[in-house]
Order: sequence, then C-alpha cells, then structure tokens
Amino acid sequence: MKGARQATVVGVGYSSVHREIGVDTRPLVVDACLGALHDAGLTTSQIDAVFEYPGAGSQIAVNVQRLLGIPDLRAFGDLGGSGPSGLAAAMAAVAAVESGVCDVALVFRSVNREWGQQSGRTEVPPAGNAAQFTLPYGDFGGIIPSIGMKKYRRLAELGGSEEDYGHITLNARQWSAMYERGVLTQPLTMDDYLSSRFIAEPLRLLDCDYPVTGACAAIITTAERARDLAGAAVTVDSVAFGTGSRPDWTFSDDFVFGGTIGCAQHLWATSSVTPAEVDVAELYDGFTHITISWVEALGLCGIGEFGDWVDGGKRIGPGGALPLNTNGGQLASGRLHGLSFLTEAVQQLRGDCGPRQVPGARVAVVANAHGPQCGAMVLTRT
Amino acid sequence: MSARFVPVPTPETGTYWEKAAEGELWLPRCDSCGRAVFYPRSFCPHCHGDDLTWFRASGRGVVESFIINHNPAPGYEQDAPYVIALIMLEEGVRLTTNLLGVEQTPDAVRIGLPVEVVFEQRDGIALPQFRVITGDGASG
Ligand SMILES: [Zn+2]
Repeated sequence: MKGARQATVVGVGYSSVHREIGVDTRPLVVDACLGALHDAGLTTSQIDAVFEYPGAGSQIAVNVQRLLGIPDLRAFGDLGGSGPSGLAAAMAAVAAVESGVCDVALVFRSVNREWGQQSGRTEVPPAGNAAQFTLPYGDFGGIIPSIGMKKYRRLAELGGSEEDYGHITLNARQWSAMYERGVLTQPLTMDDYLSSRFIAEPLRLLDCDYPVTGACAAIITTAERARDLAGAAVTVDSVAFGTGSRPDWTFSDDFVFGGTIGCAQHLWATSSVTPAEVDVAELYDGFTHITISWVEALGLCGIGEFGDWVDGGKRIGPGGALPLNTNGGQLASGRLHGLSFLTEAVQQLRGDCGPRQVPGARVAVVANAHGPQCGAMVLTRT
Repeated sequence: MSARFVPVPTPETGTYWEKAAEGELWLPRCDSCGRAVFYPRSFCPHCHGDDLTWFRASGRGVVESFIINHNPAPGYEQDAPYVIALIMLEEGVRLTTNLLGVEQTPDAVRIGLPVEVVFEQRDGIALPQFRVITGDGASG
C-alpha cells in the first residue's frame, strides 16, 4: 500500500464506435474524454496530465488538451510505437500520479479503422536493413506472419488443438451480445471458427480482432483525491512491463510467449493478491494466441494447460469460474487498442456492467500486447 | 503482377550477399563470445563485441515454425498459398525462408523437418532459400 499517493481509476468514457472508414476521430476523442470526466465528477480545469498512445486516428496529448480547453499540463506523453498498446498510457499515468509529478491524469486511446486494416497491407518499403532478410520471402504484413508461426510453434511444443483458439473467439461473441457497444454480436459455433478462412495458416480470420474507429478514456488520480469524488474508485494494485530477453517479435529467446511470462512474474511479485483471487480477466485479444499466452503466463492455469482449463469455453463464459473479456474484447467489440480492457475491468469492479456483470467482482487482471511490448495491471476494489 | 522484393544490401550485410552469389551461406561470428550473429551487423548483439569474423555456415537446420501464407506479398500472387518458414540453423540462429521442393501444405511441412540451403537467382542476387532434406539427401 502506497498511502495517499496510491493510484486509482475514478472514471471511464467511450465514444461511439464506427465500422465505416473516413470518420474524423477528433469529436470521438472529445466525447470519450468528456465522458470519463463526467463519470469521475471532474471538470476539464482539474486535469493536470494527459497521456495517450499515438497512431493513425489518434490525437497527440496537447491536441486534446487544446480541444478540451485544459489550461496547462504538469505532465503529458505520447507513448507510441513500442509500448504495451493503449494500456501504456494508463501505466505512465499511474507512475506519474504516484510519483507526485501530477495529481489527475487523463488517458485515452483513439484509433481509426483504416489503421486496423493496414496491418496486413503495410506500405511497400525497399527490402533494406532487417527487411532484406524477410520481404524477399514474401514475409509481408506486419506481425501477422509471426503470430501465425507462434500459433504453430505453441501447438507443436505444448500440444492442444485449434479448438483451444476457437474458444477465445466464441467466448468474445457470447459477451459482446450482452454489451451495449458490441460490434460483432452474432453467436459463432466451433464449425464457424474452424471453417473461417486462413490469413497465415494456421492463423484464421477469426483469430484476428476487428478494426473500428472509436476512442475510450480513463481518469487516474490518487486515493486521497478519489475520496472527494462522486464515482467509485478502483485501486491500481500493481503494474508491470515486460519485454523478455532479446526482445523482438521474431528473434526473442521465448518465441511462443514473448515477454508475457516475465511481465506476469513482476506483476504478481508487487501485487497484494494472487492469481487464485482473480474474479475477472481482461486480456488482449488482437490475436487469439495472445490471449492464451496471457492466461498461462499469468498463472490462471499452468503452461500448456489452457485447453483442459478452458473446459469447452465454460470457464471463461458468462457464469463461468473466470469470466474473460467480458465486453467481447477486440475480437467482437472492435479494436480500441488495449485501453478498453482497462475500462471494462474498472466497470466490472464498480458493478456497472448490467447483464454482463460478474457478480461480486473485486479483483481484475488486465494485460496488453505480446512479444517485446508487454504490460499488465491488477485492479482491486475493496 | 508486381515483382518480388529484391534485397538491398547494406554495408554490414555485403559479405552475406557476396558469398551467396558464390553459392555459399556465410555468417558473422563474434570473436569474443563465439556466437553466430544473424542478421549481420557491425557488433555482437550478445556481448557487444566489435570484432566479428565471417565463416561459412553449415547451411543446415530445422523448421522452427512456419505459416502457409494466404495473403500474398507483391510477386507472390500466383504462388499463394505459400510457405514462410523460420529455420533454426545448426549455428543457433533463426532466419526466414520459403520452403522449396515440398508441397505447400501442413501435411507436407512440419516443425522439426531438417532443411538445407539452396540459392534462388533473382534479378542479379542469389537469395538463400531452404529445401527439405529427404531420403538420400539427408546427412548428419
Ligand atoms: Zn559476442
């Protein structure tokens, strides 16, 4: 316990989410940020820090400061490129708030569908530098080939079946059907999953998240400030980054798990709770391989035991012993790129989730990204 | 149909491509820690040693993992789906390749298959590629 400078999450907000292209994200960022402020019972003039993860469709921190009319900032940062997806912004805010650099931090992530669709269609660069050893082999499409190779490697090293991966996708649809912002809400069968087309075999279309345009936001402040606010505060119990040794999407020492295992070890080492106490898990699902890696890395089950543990999907679904990705994740509610796992965890711990509420949820674990870019958080509500 | 990518050598990789043109796979090895380095660069990524010496690699390894790519890169449109494999060389480094002389199916390609280097001529460059070692061709 860190006393008065213990970081807490006191508000979350979302914009509308769009499946079409060509949508201006600026009003969406403003909607999400104002939503989080309203949720927290704060006004723009009380914000003294802004952190975000930049990228196509985003707005840098000071643009949002200007759009919102925040008078000045004591801390800000655009934490893009190599960090743990949208969670990176919240992790920076926790550090800044707990250190005393700032008191009330606004964090957000906004993305556009165009960016999501680019993953398989990167611009055509010359095959120089490291690319001279990949592009000539038709290894094209960002991390997609690497994720496909990790899936095969995992199946070869640890066993399991394609159905293990399918349960992540089917589970997302179960939850999105109960979520007011769900995007793909039709239920899927295992046959649907197993007959979806290959992108980079064994990686299927339904192993990949769904690109959207939208934004979400959260407010992080101290436990002391939170006591004066209307909204229920959720405690940031522990935070950890992870890269793994020789960090790289292809050349890292741990090809299958990347930095997830080390990240999880650091997370639990500084947490007041244990994996057995987790009530709800919100784990990145940009690709299903990533989610399975986190379940095992976090010790929610043993390494290689996911297939038995998931119990045909029952364990992670509504009413299951460990509900997973309770807003449908990015597979079914769109790629808001990481921060939406945090906002959903906060809503679950506050009991704000209506039909998808996990009864009595008090401990949540959130994780983002994979490979050399891992990040995770434990959140609690007492 | 667009052309396949042709590698653009950089100062640190020139020897790799020159030796490939002679039909040999060469890698830099660190004089300090003795480890092979891939991709070629000006210092050792393991111990930061500055002295690297090029040597002829075995050209043999095993399939570490692979995909069968259904989303073709430029120049591969007629060949999709095609295999992109990650090879673990006997020298302990991973490199990317296609797999030649084998059906591009998950029944024909498996993790752990032994492979050896061959060279594809492409627009004046000799590109190291790997093929599965089968039957008589398999050696220790
Ligand atoms: Zn060395």
